[in-house]
Amino acid sequence: MATRSLSNALLKGVGGIQAARSSRIVSGSFYQNGNKYFSTVPHDADTHEDFRPTNKLQGSAVSLKDVVEQDVKENPVMIYMKGVPEFPQCGFSSLAVRVLKHYNVPLSARNILEDPELKSAVKVYSNWPTFPQIFIKGEFIGGSDIIMNMHQSGELKEKLKDIGSSQKSE
Amino acid sequence: MGSRGASVLLSRASRIKTKLQSTLEASIIEVEDVSHQHAGHAAVKGTQGETHFNVKIVSPKFQGQSLVKRHRMVYDALAEELQSGLHALSIIAKTPEEAAPK
Repeated sequence: MATRSLSNALLKGVGGIQAARSSRIVSGSFYQNGNKYFSTVPHDADTHEDFRPTNKLQGSAVSLKDVVEQDVKENPVMIYMKGVPEFPQCGFSSLAVRVLKHYNVPLSARNILEDPELKSAVKVYSNWPTFPQIFIKGEFIGGSDIIMNMHQSGELKEKLKDIGSSQKSE
Repeated sequence: MGSRGASVLLSRASRIKTKLQSTLEASIIEVEDVSHQHAGHAAVKGTQGETHFNVKIVSPKFQGQSLVKRHRMVYDALAEELQSGLHALSIIAKTPEEAAPK
């Protein structure tokens, strides 16, 4: 199982300044195509959630914003939702996931229920007060109403057509 | 109910309706409290209801605006509600032309 050290990516990407203070690491997990990537500092990707040290460092809104920016830039289809794609915890999130899965595109997700500070950071980033929130190719698209609307009108198909189909293995 | 102030006497549904009517010059506005449909889920527990609403609004101000923009306009008008327990909105936002029967 591959490990993605988001923290390292963050530190490298933003020059020397970020490295000096401990950047706030998003607690919780990041889902990509059914593979689970742990975005917290512990290098042991097989560590069970219960045993992972909680990383409740003083939230730095700037580094969380970097996390969001990176999420939406690196993942062609990114959803911030309640629960995870396999187990949504809200009807709207569930609907959004179902619509997106229809198109066989790689889907990346974060569970904002796991991290209240990330939840706030995402709301600020997109200037949108509710979840789920869907980003396609870095662009904020909207919530489940809008995704459903675009699906019905064919607009979503257009938006997703040049995104490669999802791969099950890495 | 609570001691939060006079506005609490009006239901959230009425407050939503009033705010949208004045801010967005809505010609048609329908507000439905569907909180009971979401009663099972995590964020609703411990609230007094009035968390999830369906809103249908017809306004000339939506002319030329994308769906995202229209929804933003609705959210902006309801910012206070969103900060005081309003949890989710299903929004249908049309211009008078779009809403007219064909």
